[in-house]
Amino acid sequence: MKNKVFISILILMFAVSAFAQLDRSKRPEPGPAPTINIGDYESFQLENGLKVFVIENDKLPRVSFSLVIDRDPILEGENGGYVTFAGQLMRTGTETRTKDQIDEEIDFIGASFNTSATGVFGSSLKKHTEKLLDVMSDVVLNAKFQEEELEKIRKQTLSGLAYQKNDPGSIMSNVRKALTYGLDHPYGEQMTEETVNSVTLEMCSNYYNDYFVPNIAYLAIVGDISKSEAEELVNKYFGSWKGKTVDQFTYETPKAPLIRKVALVDRPNSVQSVINIAYPVDLPKGDPDVIPSSLANTILGGGIFSARLISNLREDKGYTYGAYSRLASDKLVGTFYAYCQARNIVTDSAVTEFLNEMKRMRSEKVDDELLQLAKNYQTGSFSRSLESPQTIASFALNIERYNLPKDYYKNYLKNLNAVTSDEILAVSKKYIKPNNSYVIVVGNAEEVADGLKKFSVNGKVEFYDINGNEYDPAAKAIPEGMTAADVIDNYVEAIGGKTNLEKVEDVTTKMTGKVQNIELKVITYRKAPNKSFTDLDAGVMKQEIKFDGTKGSQSGMGQVMMLEGDMLEMIKMQSTMNIYFHYDELGIKSELTGLKDVDGTDAYEVTLTFPSGKKWLNYYDAETGLKIREVSTTETAQGSFTQTVDYSDYKEANGVKYPFKLTQQMGMGPIELEVTSVEINTGLEDSLFDVE
Amino acid sequence: MKIKFMLFLIFIFTSLLYAQVKEIEFEEFDLDNGLHVILHQDDTVPIIAVAVTYHVGSKNEDPERTGFAHFFEHLMFEGSENIERSEYSKIVEGAGGELNANTSFDRTFYYDLLPSNQLELGLWLESERMLHLKVDSIGVETQRSVIKEEKKQGIDNQPYGTLLEELMKRAYKVHPYKWIPIGSAQYIDQATIAEFMDFYNTYYVPNNATLSIAGDIDIDETKDLVEKYFAGIPKGKKEIIRPNVVEPPMGGEIRDTVYDNIQLPAVILAYHIPKQGTDDYYALNMLTTLLSDGQSSRMYKELVDRKQLAVQATSIPLALEDPGLFIGLALANMGVDPQTLQDGMDAELEKVKNELISEKEFEKLRNQIENDIVSSNSTVAGKAESLSDYYVYFGDTDLINTEIEKYMDVTREDIQRVAKKYLDKNNRVVLYYLANSSKK
Repeated sequence: MKNKVFISILILMFAVSAFAQLDRSKRPEPGPAPTINIGDYESFQLENGLKVFVIENDKLPRVSFSLVIDRDPILEGENGGYVTFAGQLMRTGTETRTKDQIDEEIDFIGASFNTSATGVFGSSLKKHTEKLLDVMSDVVLNAKFQEEELEKIRKQTLSGLAYQKNDPGSIMSNVRKALTYGLDHPYGEQMTEETVNSVTLEMCSNYYNDYFVPNIAYLAIVGDISKSEAEELVNKYFGSWKGKTVDQFTYETPKAPLIRKVALVDRPNSVQSVINIAYPVDLPKGDPDVIPSSLANTILGGGIFSARLISNLREDKGYTYGAYSRLASDKLVGTFYAYCQARNIVTDSAVTEFLNEMKRMRSEKVDDELLQLAKNYQTGSFSRSLESPQTIASFALNIERYNLPKDYYKNYLKNLNAVTSDEILAVSKKYIKPNNSYVIVVGNAEEVADGLKKFSVNGKVEFYDINGNEYDPAAKAIPEGMTAADVIDNYVEAIGGKTNLEKVEDVTTKMTGKVQNIELKVITYRKAPNKSFTDLDAGVMKQEIKFDGTKGSQSGMGQVMMLEGDMLEMIKMQSTMNIYFHYDELGIKSELTGLKDVDGTDAYEVTLTFPSGKKWLNYYDAETGLKIREVSTTETAQGSFTQTVDYSDYKEANGVKYPFKLTQQMGMGPIELEVTSVEINTGLEDSLFDVE
Repeated sequence: MKIKFMLFLIFIFTSLLYAQVKEIEFEEFDLDNGLHVILHQDDTVPIIAVAVTYHVGSKNEDPERTGFAHFFEHLMFEGSENIERSEYSKIVEGAGGELNANTSFDRTFYYDLLPSNQLELGLWLESERMLHLKVDSIGVETQRSVIKEEKKQGIDNQPYGTLLEELMKRAYKVHPYKWIPIGSAQYIDQATIAEFMDFYNTYYVPNNATLSIAGDIDIDETKDLVEKYFAGIPKGKKEIIRPNVVEPPMGGEIRDTVYDNIQLPAVILAYHIPKQGTDDYYALNMLTTLLSDGQSSRMYKELVDRKQLAVQATSIPLALEDPGLFIGLALANMGVDPQTLQDGMDAELEKVKNELISEKEFEKLRNQIENDIVSSNSTVAGKAESLSDYYVYFGDTDLINTEIEKYMDVTREDIQRVAKKYLDKNNRVVLYYLANSSKK
């Protein structure tokens, strides 16, 4: 008794004195770093090609089976949705089970079970494993697709699309993918009401028959199970699964835009803008840049409070609840996007800060303290992820699927901690591209559009619908019955009428202008039916472009280049006198595609489609009938560029009206050309147009 | 390309924490200042979770100052006498950890996940903000802006985002559950720093807190360190206010409609039910499993699969410290009239009242619950949260091991009885969410 009291007094005194000595201003030092062990896995393969991984972990009396189909991404095109539907349909019936029976059997053992286009997952208590596998293998081997179930899924999906129409997050996800990858890429194509309605049962069952085959499948088994138990079960339930050759696909790799563009999806009642800055990156899984670039992303905006985006946009400015970035590697094409949601009034300020932080990553070396913090954080996340045995399964799968070195994950922490600030700077310059990005905003256009113009290199905010299709918000309704032919007839009348126009044999136009303070002189000679010669003189730089009716050339600085492909087609069209009388014989299709606002003037938009598929847009003043703008897009080795020419100040010469002012929109600003003279029918010689 | 419905995320904080078949061992004790401490050792991975639960939620707030508990969730990261503003998270992340917090109607939960060699750091950090939080006007001003954006992001700018707010203000007339944790921005704007500090000195005190630590720890060493960092924190001197308001019966069905920027109508049925932990609560919880857990569950099978009235149909027991709600919720399929959907939901509820469930279906329910319990508590972070919740709500930490018995005690007759007793038309709110375009 007495002793006990004495001891407790001692303890008490010790405790008090310990507290008295506690210096709270000093941050406690860590103990020795613990060793992080990565669990092992075993693997085997069936004769039919199925590769199996077993991750034994008896902490809980459970076993899970994750079947993964490893195929190339599929472009669904106008039937967008059928691949997803096939995955959902798999659990709606087999040769011997109805959907009700499957649901009943799965729930009765308290299991989880779901199917998708690229896999099947099932999990249950160990004691129910065989019951689970019985259903799971039946679904994988003997799925039976039924019309009635397809219709249910179609209806649900259409409801889902309706739901998405108002969800700013879903809208952003659609539009970001469309812009990043393109609408004709498997990662960027869209599921719409139209595509969903076109899906047939046959497409779905073909997909299932073609791709649910063991030779492209992996099965990861995790939980309270040994390798020998697993082998017995897998042979029993998947041994009779038949292999089959599978189609492979390749796709053109999407590229980041040459210049920064601004895309806006108008959601008029938004009180907050969803902001993304996005573009594709070329960063395959397992690339040596993956680890340093993941650190660079952690520093920029990878989900920690110390990251620069959240420190700046949230903790310093209070613009948003959270600002983050993501840089993802992918076998086909990776992606970068930075994102936040910010109130309308600070939408443009938030974008400014995103771009600043992205630029800073490229221009400044990260300080050692922040780099160390990022490494420590990622080391910690890595070890926390090991708490789930599923992590080991995903390591095993990644090593197989992406051909990673066998010790990729064993060496991960070592490689992570060896990254230097120079490497961070180098990968930042390579993968963080504020100037080659899409600034995408889903928000209230009336309140945010103007402020966003400054981020676009061409000064334009492009409007997109919720599926990533561009549209003109200023578009007005075309009068009933009006066609492209009517617009062109009006134009012909406005500039002098067919009779006068057909009298023109040749035209010589002299123009002057200025480009960045350099005097520019341009003379164009044109002769019917389709010859042209443009002589451009900018003092030190001279250029001649000729077309003799079949061949075209471009010369200057002592070099001559023959025009080919798109360029040749374009010069041919430009050289054709009164081309609008010859659309049919040249194979040009004309279509009236809108009534648009062109700098304050209502204008008819006529889209010309050339035999090559290239499109050319002409705009005609709805009131005067005169052509006021021409927009053409040309593909070059450096990428595609769009040329816009505005025509104004029409004056008459020999009964025909010609524009006396031409304005060409360029990246560096507009070039204005004034016409000083137009001479008609001076009898130009054919030799003038000769192409050597 | 699969479409996900985000609608029900708002209920995340109600997710149930079942006990585990395999015994979870723990030690618990009180410090002299009233701090309750729970320790659990698990050396699977060299990590630890250090968590502090403050027994303060939105229900402790002054009706003229709603949103305080949640606002504190932000202020608690601002710093202390020894930690500069914006350093708190940097210290945790720099040590290889992560941190966050969440606020419910009843309590606020703060946690740090750290490598096991950083236990002392975690204790220092948590004790610093319990002992002497420091809040300045810059921090308050910034966080005021941040939570306004949080509210827009989670509620105002989301389809159906206002659902919980609209439901609670109709289901409760006098009880503080009538407002939701995010509260009203106007009150946060009006409040002074002195008011915030007063709230802090009242509720963020050791005698209103539970410290739970789970992971790769040495129990004895951890006890000494807890003593070292927390024993010197003085007990709170102010009276802790716990509302004792009793919500009166609804006294008849409350029907209402909210027009929102949506396409698909939603139907919500909400009934008053007893508080969490009561026998009837467990029976009602099993009833929700019967109705909406799995694709063979009754609401899913009838409303989503067979009749295709809904794209989603679920039922949720809103478990709260004071009497909560049984919520039935369905999102209409394209072109389905909300009244037709409601009739379908009502029919399922009536069926439970009128017919005793079969032995086979009952066995299924029990198997589903067993599976859920075995699967829960698989992480140290989850265990730290469950342990403290069981202590804070029920004063019985061991429920983490024994709660399964409460479920297994429920009979088929109990399920029918509670359905009859609580799923009464005069005890419910019927709320429709309709498209703005359908507004007359």
